[in-house]
Parts: sequence; structure tokens; C-alpha cells
Amino acid sequence: MQFFKKPNIAFIPNRRKFLILSCFFISLSILLILIFGFRFGIDFTGGTEIAIRVEKNIETDELRKLLLNSNIFPEEIKSFGEKNQFLLRLKETGKQSTEIEEVLLSSLKDYNIKILKKDTIGPKIGEEIRLQATIAILLAIIAMLIYIGLRFEFPFGFGAVVALTHDVIFTLGMIVLFDRLNVINLEINQGILAALLTVVGYSVNDTVIIFDRIRENKEKHKGIPLAKIANISINETLSRTIITVITVLLVLIVMVFFAGPVLQGFAFTITIGVIIGTYSSIFIATPFVLWYLKRIKKINVEADISKETVAAKA
Amino acid sequence: MKKAWGKILLVLVPIIIALFLLYPTYKASNLEKTKQRYLEEAKKAKNPSDSLAIIEKFEKQYGKELLDAKANRIKLGLDLRGGMYVTLEVDVLKLLEESAQRDAIDDIFLEVLEKTRNDAQTSDEDVIEIFKRNFEQIARPKRKFLSDYFDFGGEALATDDKILEKLKENAEEAIDQALQVIRQRVDKYGISEPTIQKIGQRRILLELPGVTNESEMRQLLQTTARLEFKLVRNDENLVAAFYKIDEFLKKEKQITKTDQLFSPIPNDTAKKEKQTATGDTSQSKSKNTNLATAEIDTTKSEQLSDTTDPYQGLSQEEKSRRYLEDHPFTTLFITNYMPPDGERTQFQRDVRFYNASQVPKGEYSFEIFEDVWKKFEAIINRKEIKALLPYDIEILPSAKPEIIKDNKGNEYKILSFYGLKRDPELTGEVITDAVATYDPTTNQPIVTMSMDSEGAERWAKITGANIKKRIAIVLDNLVYSAPVVQQKIVGGNSQITGMSSPEEAKLLKIVLKAGALKAPVQIVEERIVGPSLGEDSIQKGIQSLLIAALLVLLFMVIYYSTAGLYANVAVLINVMLIIGIMAAFQGTLTLPGIAGIILTVGMAVDANVLIYERIREELDKGRSLRSAIDEGYSKALSAILDSNITTFITGLILYFFGSGPIQGFAMTLMIGIITTLFTAIIISKALFQITLTLGASNISFGQPKPIKA
Repeated sequence: MQFFKKPNIAFIPNRRKFLILSCFFISLSILLILIFGFRFGIDFTGGTEIAIRVEKNIETDELRKLLLNSNIFPEEIKSFGEKNQFLLRLKETGKQSTEIEEVLLSSLKDYNIKILKKDTIGPKIGEEIRLQATIAILLAIIAMLIYIGLRFEFPFGFGAVVALTHDVIFTLGMIVLFDRLNVINLEINQGILAALLTVVGYSVNDTVIIFDRIRENKEKHKGIPLAKIANISINETLSRTIITVITVLLVLIVMVFFAGPVLQGFAFTITIGVIIGTYSSIFIATPFVLWYLKRIKKINVEADISKETVAAKA
Repeated sequence: MKKAWGKILLVLVPIIIALFLLYPTYKASNLEKTKQRYLEEAKKAKNPSDSLAIIEKFEKQYGKELLDAKANRIKLGLDLRGGMYVTLEVDVLKLLEESAQRDAIDDIFLEVLEKTRNDAQTSDEDVIEIFKRNFEQIARPKRKFLSDYFDFGGEALATDDKILEKLKENAEEAIDQALQVIRQRVDKYGISEPTIQKIGQRRILLELPGVTNESEMRQLLQTTARLEFKLVRNDENLVAAFYKIDEFLKKEKQITKTDQLFSPIPNDTAKKEKQTATGDTSQSKSKNTNLATAEIDTTKSEQLSDTTDPYQGLSQEEKSRRYLEDHPFTTLFITNYMPPDGERTQFQRDVRFYNASQVPKGEYSFEIFEDVWKKFEAIINRKEIKALLPYDIEILPSAKPEIIKDNKGNEYKILSFYGLKRDPELTGEVITDAVATYDPTTNQPIVTMSMDSEGAERWAKITGANIKKRIAIVLDNLVYSAPVVQQKIVGGNSQITGMSSPEEAKLLKIVLKAGALKAPVQIVEERIVGPSLGEDSIQKGIQSLLIAALLVLLFMVIYYSTAGLYANVAVLINVMLIIGIMAAFQGTLTLPGIAGIILTVGMAVDANVLIYERIREELDKGRSLRSAIDEGYSKALSAILDSNITTFITGLILYFFGSGPIQGFAMTLMIGIITTLFTAIIISKALFQITLTLGASNISFGQPKPIKA
């Protein structure tokens, strides 16, 4: 079986159209983030989250009423994976959260309540995790820039970083969107953060494959303009790009549907990230490198590059 | 054929290693099933000795095997097996407060502490650094130095820098000591395979699998367990001081005139007091009222000397009102009296005096409503009032309230409180053993303790010198009991009573044996996973791993035909190796870890896809199968390496910045990348070479037109 037999799609010549598309997506994402804002989980804000399972059928509103009667005021009640499983979110931490647990157990006794999990995080820890998260993402981006810069050339490093920033912003935008649409629970917690970092890894991974081919083809086809080489390289790796995205998406979709409520948001985030990461490695990373070389380094990428000194180091 | 052997070994050895590493996991789970069978049989057995024999038989036959297998099997994270995950933090601020000279603590110092507490709430900076900064800002301009508050002995240690250094040292010692003590407590409580580690400067992380009683666990972890034996000084001096407090508060009230400004009492209680003072007797029935006012009746209560009655000639009601107004403090509680002449019969209940000069010699006891205690405590903690109390005395409440029901069925919780000599006669350090048991006469749970020889000697001396006097047994500033010493106790035995349940006695025993914490700790993060969610997660995780793997393997065969099959063999070996290596490195499999493995399955084929696409290209160029394979592998190598190294870097960052389960994910991701490189590049290539050496002339790479080699 073969999806593409020697494809020759004009990716690079049409790069402006995709750039406009990306700009639209990114502004939309930023707009979504600015309007709705992130919903941080207790990992970041501090508080208590209790997941419960009840044996009898009960609706969220009914449950809320019952809890209000026992003086428990959850900020939020959401369903948790299956029917009759709920996630309660409370502001309280420390001692009070213990009391709430007891009240919960006694007030829902008739429903055969079972506590599935309970997380309590002090406000200070939340602050720390938030700081660590920001450092982790920034560090990952810097590490990518340095590694690719050394293995290829710095313009390529910039290209990869621009692409992955594009992916992270888009993924965050989609997180906000899908969370607000109540399709899936996507408040920002440590799991989502891990997913974002995985997206960073995947995005770069995908980009590097194309860069690697450009590096190779530059040696092979001396005298052909870089823009053309880029287009050839994207086409040559297209088959691989598609197949890998298919296998990765296969496992991710399985995870979204079958791995249970704890992993759902995590898998969903990576799914979005992988799709956009694949898109960006073709339509953002390489075009950015070309733009950078043309505008900043004043290299004519459309014309013969044989006289230019941009031979790959590796 | 001969040539192929090397390659065959290359494929077989990793498989054997993986199986070898996974065998303990398999064996442990089998043995645990066997154990379960034995246990069920033991339950069914007719008498205890039979069931014990069955369990012993299992232990004899499989015990060691199970232990070995368990040590080398893959460990499941708390999110998969259920349990409690706790982060404790040493309360450095409390430590600071406790290491300061008690007499030296003043408002300036308290202000610095308060500010430090607020700042530390949101900052990750070292608490002692924050303290230093605040001290310099607040106390320094008021000409205070650290040496005014701390005394670590000697002039040489009296400079501020030296003191700060010492404080830091103490904080570090406190965390290390807490780590030790808490480890012992957890061990003695009987939790199997706990993880206890120090994180950063002042945190302890605990992973406690299978904990079912979380509140008991919390108590076990957070109890400071400072045991002290203190002399009770409920004497006339203390009572006289209480009446002086009355005078002081009355005077203060007259000066300020308005109740609202009556500072130590919260507004609502102040109002309530006003109500009772104006003779609102209906209020006196309510639980919240002063214990004394509920029964105030100067004729009934034993007025010890009415010769100086200042209210002579007034009506009964007016007398009560005036008495209350004049005694805002001593009417918060009941005072009982026993004369000193040795005929110890019973306390005379609810004695009242007009002023401090009337208080006779003897022994006293005090009772107070539990909800009034806070108000009482607020008053005695005021600086001006502290000065009125005997300087070497501290007042501490009993650990558990006594519950008294009146004839209407209302329940009252009543605490006792004690004036205790501040410096303890003996502390818990001398305790060598503790046993939870029952008092043979009362059948109440008690803890009996034995002391080391030095402690026993001192205990004998102390008890000998205080016969017919009370010694309070104080744990974490709560009085558990204050028995009267009947005789000199030799041999170093003592006991604690006053626990409400045998479970509490058991916890107390554990914390006493493990020793006290140098500094209090508090829980800053707590995650509990119920066992049912854990089982659910394992089941769902494994289910999705299988479905995902099946789909990917199927896709690879469809797309790449025979070559896809080879890639699949590589992927399967890959998954086996990941789990095997996790077991070998004592890694913990978490739910995100399973996600990492699933993701690796998806990504692992990427390397093979890169190689196969290259081979197809080379075949299309008309190369022979053998050279196309060689070319494909070598050309794809740089892309595979670069792309995997970048992913590995993100894995590393996740590992160092993530916590708990996320680290599990990062761990599997990183192991997965290494095994992927090995299996996708080396094993799959070996498979091709074996096939070719064995004489195959064609391996399908799934292109539409197969090309002959």
C-alpha cells in the first residue's frame, strides 16, 4: 500500500496563503485565551478536588442541592468519566477539607457514596507549580533552539521554535475553546502541562525530519534554489509525515475514548497538538527559515544558492 | 546460515533479557493469588490455630519467594493501586518562635513573625531569609537585635549572623530529624512499601499505598508528640492572680467605657457578656454562656468569707449583677477548692471570693466550657495579663472535654485547665518503649511507658519528692492526665490515660516510640486515590494499550506488508523492554506512565516508517533489496537520532520539573526513546539481515509493484 507516489505539491510556493491561515488561527487562539482565560485546576490554584461515585442515579443539580443542605459549597460539580461519577471542586484546603470529606460521606450515605480520589493542594504549592510550569515550557523552548541551532543552523532553530510556539498557542486556544464548550474537562493541571510539553517534543520531532531532508538535499542538489529544495524535501518526507501522524493519532484517539477520565484531557491535548504540529512543520517551520534567510540574512532563497555560504555544518 | 547466528542472537538476547526482567512481576502476581487462596482457606478454618497453621504453611513454602519477587517486580504508582500521597512541610516559623527566649518575645518580635508568616505564604524564598529581612525592616529601627530574642549560649554566638546561621542549622536538622521520626512512625503503623523522601529544603514527600484511614494517617504524620511531665501548681497564688486579672479587666473596662473597645474578646461574645451582665437570665441557659453565670447565686455558692461582702444590703439579683461586673475573668470558669490540711476528701465546688487577698491556701481545680476556652486563652495570652500571672507558670487545658448531660438532655463539653510549672520535670526523650493496653479497673484505653535507666532514676526522684501532689502528663501542650502521686515510682513506669478510643491509644503508642519532632510539620499537599479508581485505571489503561497496539500493528502490516510485520516484532520487543527496564530500575508504573508507553507505541513506528520510506525510495531508484535496505537504514539514521534526541530533551525537562505521576510519564517516555532507537534500528535491521542470509530473495515493503532483489 502507498498513499503518495512521488508527490509534488506546491507547499512552498503557496506559503503565503497558509501563513495567512495560521495568522488567523493564532489571533483567534489568542483572542479566545484573552476573552475566556484559562481555567486553572487545583494543581495551580490550591484547593480540594473530590471525585465520588454513587450507586443510585442522581443528576448534578440534585447533588448540588443535597450538598448545599449539608453546608458544602462546591465551586463546581462536573461529571467524572462515567454516569454517577462526579468531580467536586472546593476552595477549602487543610483541616476543613477533611471535615468536608466526613460530611460528604454521611450526607450521601443513602446513595452509597464512594470516594474515588481526593486531592488537596495548599495555595503555596500551587504557586510553585505554576512557576515551575512556566520555567519548564520556556526551558524546553530554549533547549530546542540550542540543540537545533547546533545540529543545523540557527535560522533553522528559530524556525522550529516559531513553529512550536505557534503549536503551543494554538493548542492552548483550543483547550480554552473546548473547555468552554463543555465538550471535555480541560482545566489546566499538571497532566495538561505534561501534554503541552509532549506537544513541544512532537512538534520539533516532526520539524527536524524535514530539516534533516533539507540538509541532505542541499548537499545533493547544489545549485538549486533553497526554496525549491525545501519544497522537494517536504514532498519527499510527506509520506512519512502522514503515516506517523496516522499511527500516533490512532493511539491518541484510543486513549481519549478508552483510557478513562484521568487521561482524557491529557490525550485530547496531545491529539490537537500533534495535528497542529504536523501542519506547522510543513507550513510554518520551513517557510519561516526561508523568510528569515531572505529578510534578515539577505540571502536570495528563490535563486541559485550555490554561491551562498549556507552549507550545513553537519 | 552461520552468518545469521550472530544476528539471531541480537534479536533473541533482548527478548530473553526482557522476559527475565519481567519474570518477578509475573511470579509475584501469581504468588499473591496463591496467598489469597491460602488466606481464604485460613478464614474458613474451624479454629484459630488451624488457620494460623495454613498461613504459616504458605509463609514457609512461598514466603521468601514472594518477598524476592516483590522486590524485583514492577511497582505500581499510587494512582494505580490506591493510596495516599502527602507532602509535609516543616513549619520553620514555629521553630523560630519556639527557639526564641520565651520571656523575651514581645510585640515587635510577634509583628516580625506575623509579617514573615504572610510573606512566606506566597513566596518560595527560604523562611529564615524572609524572617531576616522583616527583622531588619521592623525590629532593627526599634533598636532590637536578634541576640535580644535568641540565646544559643556564649558571647561568641551572640552576633546576629551567628544566630541566623544557627537558626538555619536548626531548621535543617529539624527536617532531617522529622524524616527519621516520620519514617519510623510509618513503619510502625505497618504500611508496606512506603516511599518517604526529602524534597528540597524543607519538604517530605510520602507515598503511602493502601492507606484506608486517612484521618488517622494525618494525625500520625502531624503529631509533634512532645511528651512532658510537669508539676501541677493549682495553688492559691494562681487563684489570687486570677482575681487580679478581674481587677485589671474591670479597670480597663472603666477606662474605655465602651464594650466594643474591649479588645481581647470578639464583639459578639462581648455583647453576650453585656446581656448576661444586665441580668438576661434566659441567656444563662444557653450553652454559650459562662459556666459560672449559669449557676450564679451567691447564697448557694460557697462564699468562703462573707465578712467583707462589698455588696451587703443589696438584693440578690443586684448582687449577682454586681459580682459579674466586678469579676469578668473568674466568672468564665468554675473554681473548686480543697484545703491543704491533708484530709483529701473532695473538692469544694464553685468557690467565689471578692478579691485576691481572700484566697486561702490549698489546692484548686478549674472547669470551663469548651467553647469559652478560646476566650479565656485570648485573655491570658495578652502581654499585660501574662505579667499578672506567676512567671514560672503556664496554663494548659485538658486534652479531651468531659461531656456532661443536664436533666433536659443538653450536652455540655467541659474542659479542665491546669496551672503547670513551666519547666518540665522530665521529657519524652527518656521513653524507651510504649504499649497500648487497657486499664484493668476502668477498662479505658491507656498507654504504658517504660523509661531508660537515667529517666527511671529521675522519675523516682521526682515522684518521691512530690508525694500527694499532682504531676501532669502533657503531650503537645495538652494535659492528658494529672494524677496524684501516691508513692515513689521506681523502675521508670508511667502511663497516659484520657484517650477516647483504643485506636487513639495505638497511634499514641507509635508516636511515643518514634519520638518527638523537633519542629511541627504541616500537610501542604495531599492526594488520595481510592482503590476502586486505581483498579479502574489499570483496567482502562491496559485495555487502551492493547487496542492502540493492535491498531498500530494492523496498520503497519497493511501499509508495509512483510516489512510491517518486522517493525511490529520490533515494537513488541520495545514494549517488553520498556516495562522490563522499569522493573529493573525500580521505576514506578503510573497511569501517565501507561500513557507514555501507549504514546511510545505510536511514536516507535516512526523510526521504522522513516527507514522504510527511505528503502522504498531506494528501491524505486532501482537498487537491489540488500543495498536498498543498507542505504535506507544509514540515510534515515540522522533524522531518527535528531528527532528522538529533541523528544528526549523534553522528557528530561518534564522529569525534573514534574512531580509524582508526571515523572512517571517522563520516565517511560525517556526509556521508550532509548529502547525505540535500539529496537527500530538494530533489531529490525537484524531481522532483515537474517531473512536475507537465510536465502530469501524478496521482502515486501508494501509498494504497489514489488521489486525483485
